[in-house]
Amino acid sequence: MRSIKAIFIKQAKDIFKNPMVLVLFIILPVVALIMTQLVAKSNDDIPSNMFVTMMAAIFAGMGLVTAASGVIAEDIERKSLRFLIIAGVTPYQYLIGTGGFYLLAGTATSVVFALIGDFAFTETLKFLAIMITGTAASIILGAAIGMLSKNQQAATSLGMPVAVIVGFTPMIATFNETVAKVAGVLYTQQINVVVNDFSVSLARPLLIVAANIVVFTFLFALAYKKKGLKG
Amino acid sequence: MIKMSQVVKRFGAQTVLSEVTFEAKEREIFGLLGPSGAGKTTIINILTKQLDADSGSYSIGAKMLETGLMLDADGLYVRLNCVENLNIFADIYGIPRYKSLEALKNVGLEESAKKAVNAMSKGMRQRLALARAILHEPKVLFLDEPASGLDPATARGIHKLIQNLCDNGATVFLTTHNMEEAVKLCNYVALLHKGKIVEQGVPAEICERHNAVKTVPDLEAVFIKLTGVELE
Ligand SMILES: Nc1ncnc2c1ncn2[C@@H]1O[C@H](COP(=O)(O)OP(=O)(O)O)[C@@H](O)[C@H]1O
Ligand SMILES: [Mg+2]
Repeated sequence: MRSIKAIFIKQAKDIFKNPMVLVLFIILPVVALIMTQLVAKSNDDIPSNMFVTMMAAIFAGMGLVTAASGVIAEDIERKSLRFLIIAGVTPYQYLIGTGGFYLLAGTATSVVFALIGDFAFTETLKFLAIMITGTAASIILGAAIGMLSKNQQAATSLGMPVAVIVGFTPMIATFNETVAKVAGVLYTQQINVVVNDFSVSLARPLLIVAANIVVFTFLFALAYKKKGLKG
Repeated sequence: MIKMSQVVKRFGAQTVLSEVTFEAKEREIFGLLGPSGAGKTTIINILTKQLDADSGSYSIGAKMLETGLMLDADGLYVRLNCVENLNIFADIYGIPRYKSLEALKNVGLEESAKKAVNAMSKGMRQRLALARAILHEPKVLFLDEPASGLDPATARGIHKLIQNLCDNGATVFLTTHNMEEAVKLCNYVALLHKGKIVEQGVPAEICERHNAVKTVPDLEAVFIKLTGVELE
């Protein structure tokens, strides 16, 4: 427990000195706010929450994949992770400490999205539920990618395309039925389903996102096992 | 205390260590001397369980948590300051945070406690890495080229710290490609060349054995005599 806490505190201190990562948590809500105020409010054809839900889905689905993979790849590249492991930290404690902090930060951003959006109370709860679980999925996916990478550059060249694919599949799915069938198993698709229609039941989306989390955790474990301390 | 017996390590077709055997005694400074690529880091990685040997046996006479390390990369969190870097490990080890300040004092960095790592010189970073290695007062220290790349004065500072640690009861296992460092600092050295130990013993005695005593014992001369190559 104290290892998890120590790593959590490290991430909390570090993010404020790491503008490249910090900006990911700020830029999309700011864009959503501006677009909502300037475009959606003055244009009757555009649903008032369109930009909020669009940016929120991009944030939960994609933003944190690159953040988590970059942070973990940096720890591998500089051998910081190795010192933690030698000091007795397990890879899961490292994942929970690091991912836990980013989940908290992502939740704060989701709350900001919820405040910008014009949601009813139950809609807000549904929105936060899918955002938080979706954020968790993308963080663990990013962690697995980071763990697979030798350095930050490798993490970017693997993380970017993965983030783009999982992020844009839901959009392509709206035009293409074949893609739509496959997209259903993706956490990003489930985020889109819920934020675009709060009348749907949460049970199935949450279950699918949870399944994604299990698969990504397995990937993370596999990546660590393959690399071990040798990476 | 630290023993290796007949250890063999291969990377693919390349045999990096062949039947390496030595013993480092408690409370001494043991030096593994050899040029770049000799296999020094590989030996440290095996002893600290970061790598598995292909065959042979070894033991370090202490639990992993009773060891302190400096690796070939310092692993510091570059955006955090000195004391923040150490506090993370104090928290992980479950020791009080004032130990971080004590460790910084020990390596002469107390004035720089709030300085960010990416604003520090290489020598300061090495000292901070040493502070992290000794934070939990380990019985055994593994130091991979602790003073390499430092100017002579800064290197001497690091040597003094290592000597103090040994005087206070720690066993030190260090690697170096610098023969002066080995002669001055180590009670016992093993000369490593292409993964083989070609000689070992007390520095002055080795030099005598090989008629390499000039005004100072000349380990480099021994090395050249045995392997035909220079250290640096
Ligand atoms: N992970 C690895 N994969 C393949 N070869 C390696 C690996 N690590 C080290 N080597 C090789 O093993 C030899 C010894 O390396 P090393 O132990 O780092 O030497 P030293 O620390 O003495 O400079 C070198 O030839 C190096 O290229
Ligand atoms: Mg080396």
